[in-house]
Amino acid sequence: MVIPDLVPRIPIVSPASVPTKGSVPTLSVVAPLYNESQNVRPLVEWILQALDTYPHPFEIILVDDGSRDGTWNEVRSAAADPRVHGLRLGANVGQTAAMMAGFDNARGQVIVSLDGDLQNDPRDIPALVAKLDEGYDLVCGWRQRRQDKLLLRKVPSWLANRLIRRLTGVPIRDNGCSLKAYRRELLQRIPLYAEQHRFIPALSASVGARITEMPVRHHARRFGESKYGISRTVKVLADLITLKMITTFRSRPLLGFSMAAMPALGIGLVFAALWLFSLTHFGPAKAGALVFPGAGLLALGVAFYLFMLGLVAEVALSSERGDASDTPNAWEVR
Amino acid sequence: MGAPQTLMEPTADTSGPRTLADTGFISVVVPVVERADDLVAVYRAFGRELDARPQEYEFLFVFDGRITPSPELVALTRENSSVRILRFAREFGETAALRLGIEKSRGDLVITLPAYFQVQPQGIHLLLDAVGRGADMVVANRSPRLDSWLNRMQSRAFHSMIGGAAEQRFHDMACGVRAMRRSVAEALPLYGDLHRFIPALALQEGFRVDEVAVPQHPGDARMRVYGPGVYLRRLLDIAAFFFLAKFTEKPLRFFGLVGSLFLVAGTVLSLVLFIQRVDGQGIANRPALLLAVLFLALGVQLMGLGLVGEIIVHLRAPHRRQYRVRERT
Repeated sequence: MVIPDLVPRIPIVSPASVPTKGSVPTLSVVAPLYNESQNVRPLVEWILQALDTYPHPFEIILVDDGSRDGTWNEVRSAAADPRVHGLRLGANVGQTAAMMAGFDNARGQVIVSLDGDLQNDPRDIPALVAKLDEGYDLVCGWRQRRQDKLLLRKVPSWLANRLIRRLTGVPIRDNGCSLKAYRRELLQRIPLYAEQHRFIPALSASVGARITEMPVRHHARRFGESKYGISRTVKVLADLITLKMITTFRSRPLLGFSMAAMPALGIGLVFAALWLFSLTHFGPAKAGALVFPGAGLLALGVAFYLFMLGLVAEVALSSERGDASDTPNAWEVR
Repeated sequence: MGAPQTLMEPTADTSGPRTLADTGFISVVVPVVERADDLVAVYRAFGRELDARPQEYEFLFVFDGRITPSPELVALTRENSSVRILRFAREFGETAALRLGIEKSRGDLVITLPAYFQVQPQGIHLLLDAVGRGADMVVANRSPRLDSWLNRMQSRAFHSMIGGAAEQRFHDMACGVRAMRRSVAEALPLYGDLHRFIPALALQEGFRVDEVAVPQHPGDARMRVYGPGVYLRRLLDIAAFFFLAKFTEKPLRFFGLVGSLFLVAGTVLSLVLFIQRVDGQGIANRPALLLAVLFLALGVQLMGLGLVGEIIVHLRAPHRRQYRVRERT
């Protein structure tokens, strides 16, 4: 499937600008790396070993996300293999943007992402790709027997996954696992930014992708340090509100804002009724306190304001409406 | 907009930095906005230094609406085709002048110069040599500073306020003498009054920015006194820069945090009032109820604003990339 409007904007490197190393790969394995110098070599060897029997041409894209520990030198020496490509980003932009860099430069029809810290097992890649071929757009890894710290990583992750599942209704049990297989068309429809890599399943579902998950292996970290801690919890909460808002009301923000205005409208009307009641029953002397009408007017003001904000959002949307990425994904039934 | 939406450069330079600094075409962009010395003298002084280098060069003077080019300068453009004058019909400010200059220039290297002698002309070599050593942008740090203690103190306060937002500490962002590769110049998000933050902006875009000490020109070191409006605008600039640096991709993280503080305050106050009401105290005559509703209203409004921001960011996502590829194999 070709999305005419979207394709030219995504900076896929044309075959002419990259020296052709072998035939065009059908599978691209993308690994973002941030200060993982010790892990690069084992990772590449492991992936190559895992894909040794893979029947089609493939490529490995290593994205150095502004590391300061010599990761790029390791990537460069790994790229001596014609199947390995390296991208060095100008600054540390975070996992999502680093993954996007890899995706934008991947040439395969099938793209697999995994962590650069050896915690995912490349031996799971062929199974994920096979699952994708059963007719899915996204296959998520589901880490079995997670080898991470309980209190700092596993408990927050368990809570976050429950919350994401409840809020989005997408029945994926492990949103945080980087080991995933995607169909290229799907990635072109969900341009990731900020820290959205956690929400890939929910975002994919919102554009109509067919999603499944399968158990994958998980290993303890051997070299280097984890880049995550508990501090991200608050940010994830704000991001979740955004996600819910965007996936639900992306094409009709006015409806979303109007729904949010309803409670304020209700409160405002209750206060107004209280004021009228006190006016008719106790006379103007008592009702003249102005607190009830004041609070009522404030609440009504909020309702009005939210409605207007919804209109602003519609204005923002209308300038982008008709964008091909807004058409839901569908597949032919045969 | 001069800045391309996509920050990728498929044609990452393979020629090596040294060749660029030695052979590339140089464009000197001079925004003429407020203070201007004799521009023909500026051209001759810096041109003499550039003549000593192997590269060809051009000068672009961009006049903001208020200032008229002197007849001598206009005469210069007639006899020398490498000097050009562009002029806004009305005032647009220094950032817009820089952007226009960059758009209209042809150089592989872009040098920006103020319209007066801010540094010694010989200092230009220090900048170009640093570009030759591999920096994407080189900014001058006037040193030693000859300014009055008041101006130096202001400058230090400004930079320490900015310091928190940027990864790398700069010492003289007010200095308009900079040299940069064309790719950097075109990637800079130049609008509003952001020219004051050019080194920090380049750093955020993922470029390598170096600072070199360049001797200050004695003519630059005069006492400058500003009105309160100027300080207010600087503070607003800093606030805008902070916000853009931290929250452009995630507006709700900022508005949501502030908004939820108001919501919590409003909820707590409402609960207290509710308990008091149940307890038998009248609340109808107390402004505390108004305050509680006001807090809740503010909280909701801020959250709503943040969500609109998120929608705008989301809609722009297909056109934007946060990364820039520096090198590839």
